[in-house]
Amino acid sequence: MQKEECFYFGKVIKTHGIKGEVSIRIDADQPAAYKKVNMILLDINNKLIPYFISSLKLNVNKANISIVDVNSVEKALELIGREIYLPLEWLPQLEGNQFYFHEVTGFNIVDENHGKVGTIEKVLEYPTQAVFQVFSQGKEVLIPINDEVIVQVNRNTNTIHVKLPDGLLEMYLSS
Amino acid sequence: MSRSLKKGPYIHYKLEKRVLDNIESGKKTVIKTWSRASMIAPEFVGQTIAVHNGNKFIPVYITENMVGHKLGEFAPTRIFRGHAGKKDKGKK
Repeated sequence: MQKEECFYFGKVIKTHGIKGEVSIRIDADQPAAYKKVNMILLDINNKLIPYFISSLKLNVNKANISIVDVNSVEKALELIGREIYLPLEWLPQLEGNQFYFHEVTGFNIVDENHGKVGTIEKVLEYPTQAVFQVFSQGKEVLIPINDEVIVQVNRNTNTIHVKLPDGLLEMYLSS
Repeated sequence: MSRSLKKGPYIHYKLEKRVLDNIESGKKTVIKTWSRASMIAPEFVGQTIAVHNGNKFIPVYITENMVGHKLGEFAPTRIFRGHAGKKDKGKK
């Protein structure tokens, strides 16, 4: 499986106990959604190798896992620092106006007043919020992502309808 | 040493005036500011303020839990590039 078909899930941080268990740090918004994961893909020399999990104890954003065939500290030590990936199809499905940032890249932004603004180049994540980076008339426009702005997400037409705050578009286009 | 209570929180006078003008007129026009040190007052909630980060303006939609913080905290001046494969993030 290629990395493009997977998402980054976390990292193996240390061994746990003497029976080959390892502690992993989960880098996800809702770690509890992955309680029933029974397989992980570890990045070993840029190749994703599947490992099967026999038990998983979740603790906030960390988990202690037992991996099939890893039953000694020596074998567990080899996994320390490895990045963990999961297949993209395991991401919980989002509907309505909810979306993953990676899936809206390339979507068109249509404003209620200005019409088509541009295409989403990428999503920039800032401390408390994220913004769409859109290029309109060759200039960068940043659109905050919040419920006030996002009106509708249309996955069929790859379009996001927005209601831009007054003056936002003019501010970027006039600079 | 913290700022004297007698003076109250620092808010740039032009920024404060523009926010109050917005509230009076009932508009939610984006307000451009370079004043990253201004504190977010409760009146700012619901406004969109474009805070300069030294390079460009970052639109910050003010919510209740930002009150008491400074505007600059929400417009970082350095780029943090997270893990490229992290796709779990989204608007939920």
